[in-house]
Amino acid sequence: MSIPYKILVCIKQVPDVNAKIYLEKTKPYYDEKTVYVINRYDEYALEEALQIKDKGLTHYIHTISSGPERVQKALRRSLEMGADEAYHIVTGDDDCAIPYYVARCITEFAKKEYDIIFTGVMSQDAMNQQTGQLIASIMGYNYATGVTSIQTNDDEITVTRELDAQTSMQYVLKIPCVVTVQSSSTMPRYPSLSNVLRAKKQHIDIIKPIMSSQVQYHSFYTIPQKTTECEFIQGSTDQKVVELYNILHRNGVV
Amino acid sequence: MSILIIADIKNNQINPATAELFTAANIIAKDITTPVYLLIPCNDAKITSNYRPDVTTIVIGMGIYHYNAPGLSKAIASIAHDIEAHYIIGLHTPFTIDFLPSVSIEYNAHCVTQVHTIEYDEHLTLARGSYSGKLDQFVSIVDDKPVVASITPGSFDEYGAKDADDLINKVIEINIDTAIKQWCTFIISENKDSSLDEADIIIGVGKGIGSKDNLTLIYNFAKFFPHSAVAGSRIVCDYGWLPYSKQVGITGKSISPKVYIACAISGSSQHIAGIKGAKTIIAINKDPYAPIFNVSHYGIVEDIFTFIPQFLEYIQRL
Repeated sequence: MSIPYKILVCIKQVPDVNAKIYLEKTKPYYDEKTVYVINRYDEYALEEALQIKDKGLTHYIHTISSGPERVQKALRRSLEMGADEAYHIVTGDDDCAIPYYVARCITEFAKKEYDIIFTGVMSQDAMNQQTGQLIASIMGYNYATGVTSIQTNDDEITVTRELDAQTSMQYVLKIPCVVTVQSSSTMPRYPSLSNVLRAKKQHIDIIKPIMSSQVQYHSFYTIPQKTTECEFIQGSTDQKVVELYNILHRNGVV
Repeated sequence: MSILIIADIKNNQINPATAELFTAANIIAKDITTPVYLLIPCNDAKITSNYRPDVTTIVIGMGIYHYNAPGLSKAIASIAHDIEAHYIIGLHTPFTIDFLPSVSIEYNAHCVTQVHTIEYDEHLTLARGSYSGKLDQFVSIVDDKPVVASITPGSFDEYGAKDADDLINKVIEINIDTAIKQWCTFIISENKDSSLDEADIIIGVGKGIGSKDNLTLIYNFAKFFPHSAVAGSRIVCDYGWLPYSKQVGITGKSISPKVYIACAISGSSQHIAGIKGAKTIIAINKDPYAPIFNVSHYGIVEDIFTFIPQFLEYIQRL
């Protein structure tokens, strides 16, 4: 019997999608005005965990995030949404931390304590799409990625993962396992007032990382190269309208 | 030292985009004598084409219905060890990305995902899309560790494939012993929506449309063209503004109409991978720095809410 499940949800704090990104030499940075939020896919992951809680199958949802002090805002938000405890792995302000390093920090924390470890399918900013798989492999757990629906049944869960617009795959995972969650029509909830008040009083535990971020490979950033020379249509809106019509006509669609 | 290519599986067949990995392997190889192996992750996928006669094909002796990521990644690592693979490459698709990062743990390798460009500087350098397509991350491999990489579909030309009939290469089937017995069911959505495959012109819409009601504007725009369809980015489908059958991108459909018009779509690499097949791409976006313009043939810097109504007015007067 695994119920009540012990659940860990891994959360990354990311800049809002509309945040303006700058390049300083070869590293990305954001200015002070930037709003940071919970990675969209991690919100869906937390929502899946909270739905298990709604069914009375857990009262043990922990959230964890690595990063500088500001990530505590994301952890606080996870408590407001309904998580029970939050843990902060304090690392430097490095948006582009190597996934292997993040996975090692999380597995070191998780040890063999949890039945289900949730992550988002990827982060909105770095888009590596590998941290969940790395966590599972390091822990030796079975796992599924890109999951859009979960059914729990004692010591196993049935997951549906999406392959493309037409095809999905369904199978049973034995607990303990790792599940990475894809966005779906299951919208993450807004915090309730009672949860917001409760979260205010809650303590966020500080964890020291197990190892220093070892540079595994060198990495630098640039503005993407154009793969196509884009011809910007100039002039007034009226002129652009006429020109668009001409282009569509030349391409045989009107 | 060798290169191991992992075939991607789609609808019980080898995904044709697997041919792009042979082009990527050629760039990585530098030396034409570097042995290349093709690994097919299950033994019930139809082999429809032969990519290179000198390539040894290794087939995992397991049906796709017994797919399990930990077992498969261990098997791949063990094969990689036997053939001394230094590079293991697969497509960045929901199928392959499920197990590829785990191979890197089992094989003690680097893992670089969503790669679209491969070049040699002093070292092998892999460029990958990040920050919603706003920046490219260049990863230089500076040590001797092997490399596992997922390649975004559509990034490389297809290596000339031949009919499978002249498959003269060696095929080795390897049985794997997996501790986890898993039975997977594949669910094919019954709603076979082929409108995106058949349309000459597709109007794509992003989160910028703001609400389901505002889609009327896009439908009116599409109505003007005889063989048109409306598609959306993933988030538009998550919000329920369009059904998932209309989603374009890595987790949705890949489209190849005559013309694709991206309306208020910023252009994340996830979406762009799905529109590469369009002959002409036109982007309408009020942000002149939107990454969508990097892959568009024509750019219109305008707010769709003022531009499209004006366009509709113009064509009514014609």
